[in-house]
Amino acid sequence: MLSLTVPLTPRTRSISARIGRLMILTTLLMAAAPALAAPPGDLLAIRARHLMTGSGETLEHVVLLVENGKIITIGEDLPIERGIPVLELADDQWVVPGLVNCYTRYGMSASGYSDLRPNMKAVDELSPSTRASVSRMLRYGVTTAGLYPAGRGIPGQAAVVSTVSGSTSQMVMREVAYLKAIVGNTSTGKRYLRDGFKEADTWLGKEAKNREKYDKDKEKADKEKDKDKKKEMLAKLGDYKPLDPSNKGQAFLDMRDHKISLLASIGKSADYLHFLDALGDEDVKWDLRLPLSSECDIYHVKDKIAESGARIIVEPMITLQRATLRQRNLPAELHRAGAKLVLVPRRDSAMGDWFRDVGVMVGAGLDRDAALRAMTLEPADLLGVADQVGSLEVGKEANLIVLSGDPFEAATKIVAVMARGKIAHGEDEL
Amino acid sequence: MLKNKKRMLGLGALWSLPLLLAPSWSYAAAFINDDKESADSDSEEEETWVYLAGGDVYTGTGAFLRGAGILCHDDKIEAIGFDIVVPEDAEVLNIEGYSVYPGLIALSSRGLFGGNGNLEYSVDPFSDNMLLAVASGITVAVQGTEIGRLNRGRIEDIVVGKQQFTNLSYSLSNPGGRKTLREKFDSAETYLRAYRSWEGAVRSNKELKEPKKTGVDSHALAVLRGTEKAVFRADIQQDLLAISRLAQRYGFRPVIQGCREGWLVAAELGRAGATAIVEARDRRNKSENLVRPGGSSIENAAILHRHGVQVAVAPGSGGISMGGIVGRDIMHMPVEAAFAVRGGLAEDVAIASMTVVPARLLGLEHRLGTIEVGKDADLIITDGDILHYKTFVQWSVIGGRVVYDKEAELYLAHIRPRPVEELAPEVPVVPGERDEEIIEAPKEESENPEEAPVVEPAPVDDGGEGPAPIPEEPPVVPPVDPPVDPPQEGSGDG
Repeated sequence: MLSLTVPLTPRTRSISARIGRLMILTTLLMAAAPALAAPPGDLLAIRARHLMTGSGETLEHVVLLVENGKIITIGEDLPIERGIPVLELADDQWVVPGLVNCYTRYGMSASGYSDLRPNMKAVDELSPSTRASVSRMLRYGVTTAGLYPAGRGIPGQAAVVSTVSGSTSQMVMREVAYLKAIVGNTSTGKRYLRDGFKEADTWLGKEAKNREKYDKDKEKADKEKDKDKKKEMLAKLGDYKPLDPSNKGQAFLDMRDHKISLLASIGKSADYLHFLDALGDEDVKWDLRLPLSSECDIYHVKDKIAESGARIIVEPMITLQRATLRQRNLPAELHRAGAKLVLVPRRDSAMGDWFRDVGVMVGAGLDRDAALRAMTLEPADLLGVADQVGSLEVGKEANLIVLSGDPFEAATKIVAVMARGKIAHGEDEL
Repeated sequence: MLKNKKRMLGLGALWSLPLLLAPSWSYAAAFINDDKESADSDSEEEETWVYLAGGDVYTGTGAFLRGAGILCHDDKIEAIGFDIVVPEDAEVLNIEGYSVYPGLIALSSRGLFGGNGNLEYSVDPFSDNMLLAVASGITVAVQGTEIGRLNRGRIEDIVVGKQQFTNLSYSLSNPGGRKTLREKFDSAETYLRAYRSWEGAVRSNKELKEPKKTGVDSHALAVLRGTEKAVFRADIQQDLLAISRLAQRYGFRPVIQGCREGWLVAAELGRAGATAIVEARDRRNKSENLVRPGGSSIENAAILHRHGVQVAVAPGSGGISMGGIVGRDIMHMPVEAAFAVRGGLAEDVAIASMTVVPARLLGLEHRLGTIEVGKDADLIITDGDILHYKTFVQWSVIGGRVVYDKEAELYLAHIRPRPVEELAPEVPVVPGERDEEIIEAPKEESENPEEAPVVEPAPVDDGGEGPAPIPEEPPVVPPVDPPVDPPQEGSGDG
C-alpha cells in the first residue's frame, strides 16, 4: 500500500541503478575496504546523489571529503583527487546527518526521585553496561544523545554523549547540558524552581559574608606593625577560598552563568504560563519539553513560545482537538508560528520508527527541512554541541546516515550509519 | 499613581477632561519612569482600553440605560454614558441590540479554574471548565476559601480576595453542639465587653493591661467583631428559628445556606438580618412525622425577600457537570434564579441574587456586583434577558479584557449563531439549479454592501478607531430571531 505513494520514476531508475551499483561495488570493494579499516588520518570521499545538510539545504551530486573523522570539504560536483578512496552511493540513496536525540533514557535503568535534586547528573549513571546499550542507538542513526536523569520534580542534569562505543571519557561530549525541571499547574513544580534559585541566593549571601570577614581579617593583618606577627597572621589567612556551594544551589548558579540551560517539561499551555511566572526575572537560557498528549492545547501559546526564542521538544505525533475528532499537527503549527522545533522519537523503545513518524508529520504539512533540522542541528544546538555535530558542514564530525531513499518516505530504511568517519552500522550493506 | 489620579479625576461629570489631556499625562508619566529607572515593571505594561458601544446596560443600581456605552480602562470601568470620548487605541466592540449585565458571582464552585488547590499555583486559564463557566456568565467564583476571577488566558491577577466565612452548626439534632457554640459566643462577648472597657480606660491610664484572649474562640470573636461571616447550613424550620434567635441574641447577621423551610419563618429571619443562599429548584417533601407545613416551596426566595432577607441563589452543584444533575450545575445559575422569579421574586432581585448579593457576602461590594464607574470591569453581554432560558452570553469582559466570544469558541458557536452583517448574504437555493451557479452568486452579491449607503457610526464612536462602518441593514439579511427583550424592571432598587 505505502509503496504506491512512491513516484514511479525513482523506482524504475532504482532497478537499473542497483545493477550498476553491484558492478561498482565489486570494483570498489578493493579500494573502499582498506579505507574503512584504515587508521584515522586517511582520507575518504563520499559521492552521493542526494544529501540534506541538516541546516536547511538539500544538495545534489555531492562529494563529501572526510579526514580524521571530520568533514573537511563538502560541495556539489567536486572532482575527487586520484588515490582517495571513494564511497560511491547509489542514485536513489540519500545522505542525512547523524541524528541527535537530545532527550532520551535509552538503555538507562536507574529510577529517580520526585523532588528538588539538581545535583544529580545523568553522566554518573554511565556504567559499562549502559554504555553498551547507549551505543545500540547507532543502528537507528542516532550518533549523539542527550541523556536525562530519571525522576519528577527537578531530577538533575542531563549529559551529552556520542553513541560511538568507547570508554566513558571518549563517549561523553558534555558532562552537563541542561537541568531538567518538571513544571505544571501544581504547587510543587513551581516551588522547586523558586526554591532552587533561593538556594543559590542563600549561598551567595553566605559567600558575601565570608568574603567580608576574610577582607576584614586581611586588613587587620595588614595593619599589624609587628612583622613576625603580621607574617604569621597572613600565613594563617592564606589565599581566599570561596565556600563550597551547596549541592542544590550550584546548578542554579551555573544556569545564571549560562554554563547550563534549563529544560522545563510542561504539559499544556497553562503550565507554560506558570513556568514563566516561577522563573520571574531570572536570566537563564531555557528550552521547553512538551510530551504531546492526545488533547494537548499548546496552540494557545505557540506565538508566545516562538517569541521567546526557546526550543520546544515534542514527539512527531498527530493530536486531536479537544472535544472533537479533528486532527492537529502541533509540530507543524509550532514551526509555522516561528518556534524552534526539536523532534524526539515517540518512545525510546520505538526509536526505529523515528524517521517514519516524522515522515507522517511531513506528509501532514511539516516543512521537510525543518523536520530534519528538528532531528539534527536544533537538538545539537540545544545540547550545546552544534559546533561539533548536527549538520554536514566543514569542520564537524562526519556523522551521517545513508538511507535507501527519501528520508520521509515510509518505505525508506537506514542502509548504513557513519560515526566520526567510520562506518558504525551496516557496513555489509554498502 | 498617576494612573490612579487620572482615574479619580475621571469620576463624575469631569471625566472627559483628563481624557483630552491624556497624551500630556502619559508623557509626564514616561518622564517620571525614566527618573526612577522604571522601578516597577507594572507601569511599563500597556494600558488597555475597551469600549462597549451601544448596549442596553442593566447597571444593577436601578438604572437601565438603553444604547449606552461603557469604557473600560485596564481592569476598571472608566465611564458609562451616551457621549463618551473613546481613546484612539481602544478596542471597540459594537454591541447594539445586546444587553450588558454585571458579571455573575458563584459563591461556591469546584474546578472552574481548571486545577486543584491554591489558585495562584493551580489555575489553568485555558481549561474547558473555565471556558464553560465564563460561557454561562460567571466572572468571579469562590473556590475553597479563595475568591478568583475567571481571567481566561492569563494567570496574573487571578485572586481577588479571600472568603471570610466561618462555618458553624447550630442544629436541634445536636444539643451538645448548640451549647458549645453558645458558650463560645458567651466568652467572646465577655471578652469583647472587657476589651471595649479597657479601650476606653486605657486613654486615661496607660498602665492598664489588655484583657487576655485565652480561651476565647477566635472565629466566634471574629463573627462578633464583624470581620468574619457566620455561615450555617440549615433547612429545618426549628433550626432556622434557633439560628435567627442566636444571631439576634449576640448581634450578628447570619448567612444561611439551604434555608429550605425559610418561607415559614421568613419574618424572624428578616428581623435577624439574615442572608439566605437558596437553591430555587430544590424539591423536598416535608417530614411525614410533622403536622405543621414544611418542605420546599417555589415561593421560598420571594417570601424571604419580601421579609427583608437578602437572597443569593446557588445551583445544586458547584461544579461543571456533563452528566448526573445536568441543568442544575453551576452553568445554570441564571436558570436557578429564573425559578425564583417563577415563584414570585422580582426580576431585578433575582439578578441581584447572582451579582450584588454575593458580592456583599464576599465583602467585595465596592468592586463587584454592579456596573458603576470605578468598579471592576467584569461584564457579560447577552443576546437578551439573562433570566430567559434561551439567552446566551455572547461576550464576556473580565478584568477589562474581552475574554470570551461565543462565536470564537467551540462549544456553543453553532447554536443560534449571531447574525454577521459583514458576511455576504445567503443566496437562496433554487431547486434544479447547478452548483456552480450557486457558488458564483455570492461573488456578485458581496459587492453590494459597498454600494449600499454607509450609515454613519453612532456618535459615541467618534473618538475611537472603531470597526469599519457597518451598514445597519445590509441588502439581504437572512431572517434571524430578534433578541429577546431585556428585562423591564429598571425601577427596582437591586
